[in-house]
Amino acid sequence: MMKVDTNYEWPLAVEVGVLWLGIWPMFWRSVEVEITMGVYRDVNWDAGQWSGDMAEPVTEERFVWLKALVIGESSLFRQKFSAAKGHPSKTTTMLRTQLATSRVAARRLYSTRVSQSFFVCAKTALRHPIQPVRSSVLPRYGVSMVARRGYAEASSSKFDRTKPHMNIGTIGHVDHGKTTLTAAITKVLAERGGAKFTDYSEIDKAPEEKARGITINSAHVEYETDNRHYGHIDCPGHADYIKNMITGAAQMDGAIIVVSATDGQMPQTREHLLLARQVGIKKLVVFINKVDQISDPEMLELVDMEMRDLLSTYNFDGENTPIVMGSALAALEGKNPEIGGDKIVELVQACDEWLELPPRDLDKPFLLAIEDVFSISGRGTVATGRAERGVCHKGDEVEIVGLGSQFKTTLTGIEMFHKELDRGEAGDNMGALLRGVKREQIKRGQVIIAPGSMKPVKKFQAQIYVLTKDEGGRYTPFMDNYRPQLFLRTADITVGLHWPEGTADAADKMVMPGDNVEMVCELVHDVAADVGTRFTLREGGKTVGTGIVTKVLELA
Amino acid sequence: MFALPRRAPRSILTTSTRFYSTPPPSTSKPSLKLVAELRKLTEVSISKAREALSASNNDVQEALKWLQNDLAVSGAKKAAKVEGRSANEGLVGVSVLSRGIGAGVGTGSNGKGEPSAGRGYGGVRAAMVELNCETDFVARNELFGKLLADISHTAAFISEPVNSPEFFNPLSLEALQDAPLLSHNGGTPQPEATVSSAIRDLIAKVGEKISLRRAVAVVQNQLSREQRDTLGLRLATYSHGSIGISTQGRISNLAVLALKSPRLSDLLLKDAFKEDLATLERALARQIVGFPTTAIRSPAGTTDEGALYEQPFMMFSEANGETVQAALRAWAVKRGLAKQESEESGVEVLEFAKWTVGESI
Repeated sequence: MMKVDTNYEWPLAVEVGVLWLGIWPMFWRSVEVEITMGVYRDVNWDAGQWSGDMAEPVTEERFVWLKALVIGESSLFRQKFSAAKGHPSKTTTMLRTQLATSRVAARRLYSTRVSQSFFVCAKTALRHPIQPVRSSVLPRYGVSMVARRGYAEASSSKFDRTKPHMNIGTIGHVDHGKTTLTAAITKVLAERGGAKFTDYSEIDKAPEEKARGITINSAHVEYETDNRHYGHIDCPGHADYIKNMITGAAQMDGAIIVVSATDGQMPQTREHLLLARQVGIKKLVVFINKVDQISDPEMLELVDMEMRDLLSTYNFDGENTPIVMGSALAALEGKNPEIGGDKIVELVQACDEWLELPPRDLDKPFLLAIEDVFSISGRGTVATGRAERGVCHKGDEVEIVGLGSQFKTTLTGIEMFHKELDRGEAGDNMGALLRGVKREQIKRGQVIIAPGSMKPVKKFQAQIYVLTKDEGGRYTPFMDNYRPQLFLRTADITVGLHWPEGTADAADKMVMPGDNVEMVCELVHDVAADVGTRFTLREGGKTVGTGIVTKVLELA
Repeated sequence: MFALPRRAPRSILTTSTRFYSTPPPSTSKPSLKLVAELRKLTEVSISKAREALSASNNDVQEALKWLQNDLAVSGAKKAAKVEGRSANEGLVGVSVLSRGIGAGVGTGSNGKGEPSAGRGYGGVRAAMVELNCETDFVARNELFGKLLADISHTAAFISEPVNSPEFFNPLSLEALQDAPLLSHNGGTPQPEATVSSAIRDLIAKVGEKISLRRAVAVVQNQLSREQRDTLGLRLATYSHGSIGISTQGRISNLAVLALKSPRLSDLLLKDAFKEDLATLERALARQIVGFPTTAIRSPAGTTDEGALYEQPFMMFSEANGETVQAALRAWAVKRGLAKQESEESGVEVLEFAKWTVGESI
């Protein structure tokens, strides 16, 4: 339970008054009472929602979010949100996907018409019989949004969504100049207006942050080139990175391997490449640093040759991988642009050209995780939830998948904020009206997808991070056939965890809190999942682990 | 094929892998191929390999010798450079040379290096060593694992029985560092290589600080002929978070167990008993590692969740939720070590050591 700072210039009395005009149904009174009391229980309307009781403090922004979602569109929200956006205290690392989707949502909300008055809302409310039901669902929308950390952008400056975003990381030996390179990139790009110069010392003191109750270590830097916006992280260690990847705290879509020209590849470079492989990075860019310390250009060729050899050994495209040779220090100090600044430009250009952008959420096939189902007399069955990715249109054919069923139907209506829409997209909290579907046919935990875009999965392999006691997890180990609850989107399924086939001493092997493990998950019911889908494991009301699907083994 | 001179280096780059097996052009300065070859053999840095070849007139054998001599100097220089850094990653490695009475049933790595004193009659000899580095990338590398295996083998080998009430005795790190390095898998060790020189060589290769943090040994010679018919010592060990070698991990332990029974010598002749014993040992070792175990028993009058004997024995399938103490008693009765639960005979955990990488000591 958190006390909300009620120090708003937004008079709650007025708000409550508005509510009493009869626009809002009964439900809201209770919420408003809580709000007026200055106390707002942390999100837990729905215990099944995994993020529901992660006990995040209710911040002003979340409060505004909730308000905004309750009220739909209002100028108040607009003011509040733009104020909250620049909130300086919220420099929290965000989960990438959630960041993206919440931004999408934010933008949509942000751009809605301001002139729409409450009164109009009221009238539509009276006209549409669906309204009371819808609004009783709305708090849940708000919940899922705020609980998923719908914060404003970390940097206070304006974030331009026009350029595609990509997460990139530096991997390399401690002495080979990863941090110097990162600083140099920001410096060179800052000169062209694409970044804020981040000094060595700022990057090096990687802040320890807490996201979803899990401590993560990573320095985040951002910059943009002519074509892209990059989020840049440093990869401090294997276990650290794997953990960050599983929890979603840091994600690399591509990587820069930094190698010093004086040393060439080192024994642990193999481990660096293995990590990149393991986390699914398909393409790398190599930066050979400290070339000013090498007098013989032939030796640079050797470094180049060896790197290409090694890349090919680990199934990267060694022949075509761009290898840029330069000196990050020279770039940072503004000396010798032919090996300094120019090479940094060449490097980011190589990143732009060689590294592939991950598909944007909007470009992926439509997916909506069903949070609740209602039957509205005269209209039919409405499934509500948040569109995770893709775009849907009224009249589209969709498929409902999961929990033992899989069937097709037509999307006959999309509604959001008390209005009918023709189109819904990733990040929207919407109600989907489904043709010819009975209420009993669909339930929370299923997904509405573009037909054929996903399959119900019964058994998959996953990379799992087991939370430590300090992170709120277990304090004892577990063994093969451990059976916690698996929360995947809105689904809540019992799962049996097993060692992958061929593991030696599988019956004896144990998993301790703090471990990163690859395990096979056998679900009691099937659920729609893909490689890359994240989930959490819970037992007795606490989160014991979090994971990411790496391989689908058995379809339902 | 023959591009402009300016383009030439590029064509070498892209096709270099194919030119690999062609003989190098004889030049006075070190050829790429030889540098690459030398690096394959020794994993030294490029500049070092080049220097070695220049000094030895492009003769790989000579260059290897040159490198060997140079490593002492340059390795020391490198080691001095990284001295101030902190090394908190790494592995804890265990080497068991003699598992104790009835040795040979164990699942550990005993076997080749086992001294004759321990064979079958109850001497125990083992060591546990923590070796640190800066990043877990290095800790995952096989060079690091091999070095740690060699060092723990050496530590177990050189330790002498100490007249002390405790089974576990810390090894002096100075003594261990000066000891000649033995190979854990029976290979011929490099002459003149000591533990410290081997660490230095690895520092030169991976460029990270590598340090020997602590070492402990348990050495107990075989008991007298009269004693050993009724009393025997055993070692149990488990390493959690192994990457390549199963006797190394982020958390490792070594525990000394005692078996006491008038029928011990008979029981030890049965293979079934030995297998059961090995299962129990594995379970005990896992229990100690997996749970926050700090002691064997709670101090009198208190209950401590770190006390092994009071924990539910979750790692042992026969225990059915009983405590470790109860399960051990039941096990002893069932296997015929003791006739009744109250009897003096049975199986006991006498002492254990459990280390986690990077923990404060």
